Amino acid sequence: MPDAHRIDLPQGTLDLLILQALALEPQHGWAISERVQQISSDVLRIQQGSLYPALHRLQRRGWIKARWGVSENNRRAKFYELTKSGRGQLEVERDAWVKLTAAMAQVLGTAREIPTC
Amino acid sequence: MLSDLVFRLRSLFRRNTVEAELDDELRFHFEQQVEKCIRSGMTREEARRQARLSVGGIDQVKEECREERGVQHMENLLQDLQYGWRMLVKKPAFTIVAVLTLALGVGANTAIFSIVNAVLLRSLPYRDPDRLVRIFFNEPGVGLRDVRFSKPELDDLQTRAGVFEDATPIFEGSENLTGAGQPERVEGVNASFSYFSMLGVIPQIGRLYGPQDFAPGFAPEAVISDGLWRRAYGADPNVLGRTIRIDNDPLTIIGVLPRGFRHPGPTISGDAEVFGAGGFSANPFPQPMRGARILVSGIGRIKPGLTLAQAQARLTAMAAELRHDFPTDYPPQAQWTIEIQPLQETLVGKVRPMLLVLLGAVILIAFIVSLNIANLLLARASGRQQEMAVRLALGASRGRIVRQMLTESMLLSLIGGAAGIATAVGTLGFILRFVPSNVPRLNEVRIDWVVLAFALLISILTGLVFGLAPALHSAKGALSSAIREGGRGSGYSTKTGRLRDVLIVSELAFAVILMVGAGLLLRTLRDLLQENPGFNPTQVVTANMQLPNSNDTKTDPYLDIPRRAAFDRELLRRMKAIPGVELAAITSALPTTNTNPSAVGGLANEGFAIEDRPVESSQDLHAERIRISPDYFKVLQSTLLRGRSFTDGDEDGKPLVAIIDESTARKYWPTRDPLGRRVRFGKDPTKPWTAVVGIVKDIKSDGLDIDGVPHIYVSTYQDSGKRLSVVLRTSLPAALLEPEIRHEIQSTDPGLPVFNVFSMNDILDRSLASRRFSANLVGGFAGVALVLASIGIYGLLAFMVGQRSREIGLRMALGARPADILKLIVTKGVVLAGVGIFAGVILSASTASMMASLLYGVRPHDPAVFVVVPLLLFAVAVLASYVPAWRATKVDSVTALREV
Repeated sequence: MPDAHRIDLPQGTLDLLILQALALEPQHGWAISERVQQISSDVLRIQQGSLYPALHRLQRRGWIKARWGVSENNRRAKFYELTKSGRGQLEVERDAWVKLTAAMAQVLGTAREIPTC
Repeated sequence: MLSDLVFRLRSLFRRNTVEAELDDELRFHFEQQVEKCIRSGMTREEARRQARLSVGGIDQVKEECREERGVQHMENLLQDLQYGWRMLVKKPAFTIVAVLTLALGVGANTAIFSIVNAVLLRSLPYRDPDRLVRIFFNEPGVGLRDVRFSKPELDDLQTRAGVFEDATPIFEGSENLTGAGQPERVEGVNASFSYFSMLGVIPQIGRLYGPQDFAPGFAPEAVISDGLWRRAYGADPNVLGRTIRIDNDPLTIIGVLPRGFRHPGPTISGDAEVFGAGGFSANPFPQPMRGARILVSGIGRIKPGLTLAQAQARLTAMAAELRHDFPTDYPPQAQWTIEIQPLQETLVGKVRPMLLVLLGAVILIAFIVSLNIANLLLARASGRQQEMAVRLALGASRGRIVRQMLTESMLLSLIGGAAGIATAVGTLGFILRFVPSNVPRLNEVRIDWVVLAFALLISILTGLVFGLAPALHSAKGALSSAIREGGRGSGYSTKTGRLRDVLIVSELAFAVILMVGAGLLLRTLRDLLQENPGFNPTQVVTANMQLPNSNDTKTDPYLDIPRRAAFDRELLRRMKAIPGVELAAITSALPTTNTNPSAVGGLANEGFAIEDRPVESSQDLHAERIRISPDYFKVLQSTLLRGRSFTDGDEDGKPLVAIIDESTARKYWPTRDPLGRRVRFGKDPTKPWTAVVGIVKDIKSDGLDIDGVPHIYVSTYQDSGKRLSVVLRTSLPAALLEPEIRHEIQSTDPGLPVFNVFSMNDILDRSLASRRFSANLVGGFAGVALVLASIGIYGLLAFMVGQRSREIGLRMALGARPADILKLIVTKGVVLAGVGIFAGVILSASTASMMASLLYGVRPHDPAVFVVVPLLLFAVAVLASYVPAWRATKVDSVTALREV
């Protein structure tokens, strides 16, 4: 049962969210999904079914790398961190996203008022 | 990208580690989630449940992760192959049947294609073979192709035409080889001195001809083939400088050709082994005059940069100029002209239709085999419905299932293909022994990478054909219904049923095409065997010899007609003296062996004139001239219709006489009585007239399948030649007579080889070798197709009965009689057979005309074949459906219903 205020992730945003979540410090998979959920005030939620395939994909592209470490509760966990090219990619995708949303807002704004909340 | 590659390789080769890590990671995630839920106040049980719900299907995640790692395909393939292998091993009967039929299909394709590839597709093994052409001189105005040409015309080709880098006349023929052990009959070639450089040949030892050897007549040297070198000289390197005698002329061996070299011409009894060269302008050749047309055939090499069409255009233009410049040599109504054709085409053009029909037949067999296997697989797929449904439910994608099924079929087809290629490699030598020797380039047949690529392609295509249908079918199956139905054999579901029906119908249609083709070929063969050849071939033995054609006329013991006539009489006296020989005669052309009747080359076909008819019209008169001794028609038991036979008195110095056959009479004396009329051979008006003294029934001298060629027989004592055959009426077999014949002939001249001692029936048989080969081969394939098609129908109906046993049981419980059940099943078979056969007949009718050139006396739409084949196939189909139908009546209704 999806909560009413949650929205599905638009195509292509998952990679950006993961890269952004890793921008501050290395994280393990669960923490990434928690972090995205917290910061977005529960609006965005990354399912495990799409998180791990995405992590594998980003590794393959060389944007993130993984190493085994110890979690906050002293468990062995796999930590992901941004690589140099990953950081570059984050910039690129963030710019593109900002441009897109601005443009979208502009287009939609001429159509009707965006309700403020 | 390096990181990409490293990542993929690690995933592939450290697969277990990577999978274990993923397991750990997902478990960690799960436990974190559980703890989070507990922190929010749930019990541990509740927390685990919630976490599992939020996390979703672990296996699906893993599968998707694998996909993202980019090695999915490779991993899946390995997995599918393992799985496919297990499935094949689990059902050995199915696997063996499938692999055997595939081996047959692919093997037949590989073998036939290796022949097609060597004969039709591969370029000739000479330097720049595409620029080599055969040169023809034609007189379309009088319906003649490939007439002889003269030395000045050869010079025109070489200098005036400006299209040839080089051109050479070619004399091909049998020669008497002496001076190297036993007198032997060998094939020889005489050409210009540029022959070898034109073809681009390098000798094995010694040297080849060059301009420095030029002689206006024949050069006193010879180049020999590798085969002759090994056979006659034991591959002795000191053979250079030795002397051999070819038709009595001493020739010095100057070189030995490389092993693979073959003269690019037709072979009558084998490959050319002795190569001579000459200038064609001095003794034994006549003065080089335009009208002295003594050169038989020519090949040339087109200059680089010229297309064939351009070269042809220039030659046509030059021919027109020559006709204009020399009107007496080129009478306008003959329309003398020059034509070129790619050498490869002239060599293989004749056998192309036969080889293409054979290739078509084996491809049809491959289709039928693969449809048959498709049907078997589809039956299996229906049995695996449940397995597939469970896989789908567990998260396998449909694409994944299709891929798995296809991998299984590909595995099967590749195993079958490998078995087929192995069969072809193992049996090719054996198969080639049955290929008629008139197919050129057979020595080049081998299984090379082109053939292997073709075999692989056929295997993959058959695999796709038989794999795709069941694969798509399995993936389509509706999930829930399959699982629900799966408990017990579900009914004969309509969807699979229809697919299988289509497969069976196509299989039957293809079988019809093959069987119709085979029927037409076999009927042609049978007609030819039953054809009255115009004589009685039983109890006739023949032997061939050729008097030497010495270049040095002073040493020629057979130079003029009286000397040759004396030899003929002595020969006949000795032949008749052999115990068991009743009658003996001589002919210059044995029935069915005159291979090229329209060419002016082989026999004396120089044209003739009829007395009291205008000269212009006499230019078009042509007939094959055959020289015979008086008893020839008696030996052959041919019917002399009118007039008289030759006698011993029809000899040199007496009035010239001729006997014509019915074709000649019909063609040249359609309204008048030819007896007593006179003809004159050649164009020389001072030659004496020859009187027609008899008319004989047509004799098939040019082949059983060639009709209507006019023949004129002349007395061998008045016009004897050097090529002759003896025909003996005897009840003894050829093998028994051969030593006697050889002994008698060689007591007259020890240097005369005697060759091809055969019974007349053998000769007729050999003349049909090529037809027999293709008819038997296609017939065999048609038989295989018939068996496969009936197995297909049987399999389909047997499976259907098994699937519907519940329904049948129910029907019987409700009162259906066995006869009703029988009717139910047989009707199904009959309908399928009817549709398939009908489609096949339509397809055959529209394609049969492609075979027209291989047929004789049978029309491509021969009604008998088109009636018998469908009936036969239909009968077999009914029989094949009767067995499962009968078994259906034995279904025990109680058991069948209880199984529900």
